[in-house]
Amino acid sequence: MSVSLSGIVMQYPGTRALDNVSIDFRFSEVHGLIGENGAGKTTLVSILGGSRQPTSGRISIDGIEFVLHSAGDALRKGIAHVSQEGSLVPGLTAEQNILLGDEPRIGFGIINKGELKRRAAELVGRWFPEVSIDLDRPVDSLPMADQKVIEIVRALRGDIRLLILDEPTATLPAREKENLWRIIKTLPARGIGIVLISHFLSEVKALSDRITVLRDGRHISTLAAADATEAQLVDFMLQRSGSVAAASTERAVERRLGDTVLDIEGWKAGAVEVDRFQVRAGEIVGLIGLTGAGHFGFARSIYTGEGLISGTCRFKGEVLKGIHARTMQKRGVAFIPDQRMENSLVADWDVRENLAMVHPQHATFGGSGVLSNTREVREASKIMSLLNVKAHSPSQMIKDLSGGNKQKVSIGKWLYGADERYSLMIFVEPTEGVDIGAKREIHGHLKRLAGQGTAIIVASSDLLEIGDVSDRVIPFVNRRASGEIDQGNFSENRFISAMAGVLQ
Amino acid sequence: MNAASPTIAQAKDTASGRARKDWMLKYSTLFALILLFLGFALTVDRFLTTTNLLNIVQQISMLTIVGAGLTFGFAAREMDLSVGYMVGLAGILVPLMLISGVPLPLALLGGIAAGVLVGAVNSALVTLVGVPSLIATLATGSILYGINFLTTGGRAIYGGLPETYLWFGQGQLLGIPVLAYAMMLFVVLAWFLMERTIFGRYIYAVGGNLKAAELSGVNGRFYRAAALVVCSLFAAVAGMLLAARLGSGQPNAGERYLLDGLATVFIGMTMFRPGTATVTGTFFGALFIGVINNGLNLIGMDTYIQSIVKGLIILVAVAIVSRTTKLKLL
Repeated sequence: MSVSLSGIVMQYPGTRALDNVSIDFRFSEVHGLIGENGAGKTTLVSILGGSRQPTSGRISIDGIEFVLHSAGDALRKGIAHVSQEGSLVPGLTAEQNILLGDEPRIGFGIINKGELKRRAAELVGRWFPEVSIDLDRPVDSLPMADQKVIEIVRALRGDIRLLILDEPTATLPAREKENLWRIIKTLPARGIGIVLISHFLSEVKALSDRITVLRDGRHISTLAAADATEAQLVDFMLQRSGSVAAASTERAVERRLGDTVLDIEGWKAGAVEVDRFQVRAGEIVGLIGLTGAGHFGFARSIYTGEGLISGTCRFKGEVLKGIHARTMQKRGVAFIPDQRMENSLVADWDVRENLAMVHPQHATFGGSGVLSNTREVREASKIMSLLNVKAHSPSQMIKDLSGGNKQKVSIGKWLYGADERYSLMIFVEPTEGVDIGAKREIHGHLKRLAGQGTAIIVASSDLLEIGDVSDRVIPFVNRRASGEIDQGNFSENRFISAMAGVLQ
Repeated sequence: MNAASPTIAQAKDTASGRARKDWMLKYSTLFALILLFLGFALTVDRFLTTTNLLNIVQQISMLTIVGAGLTFGFAAREMDLSVGYMVGLAGILVPLMLISGVPLPLALLGGIAAGVLVGAVNSALVTLVGVPSLIATLATGSILYGINFLTTGGRAIYGGLPETYLWFGQGQLLGIPVLAYAMMLFVVLAWFLMERTIFGRYIYAVGGNLKAAELSGVNGRFYRAAALVVCSLFAAVAGMLLAARLGSGQPNAGERYLLDGLATVFIGMTMFRPGTATVTGTFFGALFIGVINNGLNLIGMDTYIQSIVKGLIILVAVAIVSRTTKLKLL
């Protein structure tokens, strides 16, 4: 009684999202599916849910092989997918949502309201008798957990054997989570298998019977949840590609640390909490954590103030009021975000225009608002040679460059016109999708900038990178900064156990 | 993680293929314009005469100014649907003020102030209240329409307009209509602002990637607002010139400038930097519309058929841009 995937391969141009993955999902278990971003979880469940077709591999249900052409096809075979973002129609009532697309009719397309009420209530009662939800209320006025329950009930409308739940608790407050967990737990006993994707390891461990770990599109392990420790799971999830300690001893110059540049206290931004965080001039502080641990959000909130609820930020000794990208930039904070095409570059622009984005006044006629073409080309060429950007000219379109060269432009626009302008530079995933050579160059520039007295924060999921550039590392666990690792204690084991919340 | 990077040879190959496609796209509209011009020149007797060519320039001058303003809006990814009624409003206000004895310079300043005011209301709605510009300006346009008819009672305002004012719309300088100079002045001004100043660069930045611009420290709200103010301001200038040309203020005179103005920008977006609104593109877009209007007029084609032809041309232009670039208007 199971759905079996065997030898699933998903090939995209340039990348293999899934590489020969074979997993058995039983109809009597909660099967946790974990892995870092990009591990292939989403691709796997969209193949399972029929919305994507694998390049090769077989899917069989109870031993009979099938090809799933669409999500509807998968539904008819008994596989339903409840996605992370939610698929309820706001404004419609809970019962209307439950029977959306399958409304009982009187005829002529007119909905039989009484019958709809009865059937919706019956469905909820059948699956979750212990739950009481006001079904005639607009669904968006219900608590988040109830909305998830409504989505699950709708998914279970047909004859479902396997239910895929993608981050079902991501949007829920802690109290509501436990209610949903109890509900999910009841399904396998009634012959409905669950595939659970979640970033919360403790949740996966508590709920699942078995856990499968994916990494870089490969099936790493499937093990009984009772036997697994969180440290072991994290270990499976993360790539061990080299020795962190070895990299960190290659540090060229011992930098002299200056005064404290950034001093943050009692920081609460969104769900992220940090009691105290300091960076000194010339220091590189690495932030690490599993996906969703809050280190990226924290780094971003220092610059944008997004989701900031409380906290004081002292920058170069001065307490700052009103944290906002524009004001922080003027004060001397640079922010080089992740997902460069979305957050940092203008796709329709050439290299020159992108490089001039932050400081266009450096290529004007005598500091006026009038741009000088020749000066722009000259300034752009300077940055291109400083950072070794490979483009045939400053007028090459940014979208035609490779990932590494795009990333160099994304960094270079902050150095345009002058190198030492910023007292603090915050990097998020500075080498995301960047080849080894460019990665090494970018690391060199981080160290060079720190050597000039810039305070640097690097939030990254690349532990080798963190070990290579950082002077100390702050691990984040469940959206809290927890402890600190000194350079002398850098090791991959140490990082991994810190990210799993197991302090050694 | 390590996405396979194509070899240099491959990269060059695709780049040159794209370059060829880009080139064809960039200049096909210009080529069509030349063909159209030659076609009319060969088949219509009175087309290729100095008088008629100057007439074309005169006819498109207000349109070009409206289009140049709209180019700022499009570049910042904001739409202004109130420009037609703004043309009308300025074309009523200035004659009204002149007739009631306000000196010309003050009256012109008043017209400009009206443009800035309407632009400020539009941009406040868009950037402070958060109404999408398409909806906000549709509503303010409707309000302006009402004001235009209320203040005039639906009648034209004429008589007693000073000669100096009429000279802007009807006079000539060195054998060339004053309107042509006005058009060139505003086209060059708009081009200069957009292509050569930080102001224009940031308008393109907020339209090209608002999130990236704001994370780079650019005041996104300010530049979106500024683009909308320029839309109204240029429309006001066009309105003042239009009334001078007509010799009267007419409440419904500006209406066709909305659709035609949008058309100039759309046609312009197929040229030079496909998918991007540019002042040069808009200028040629206006020329395109001007040549078609004029040619069809000379042939004696019904104005309603002209409207259909124009609609088709807009569709073709937008279809080209949508299919070849990732055009996101809203």
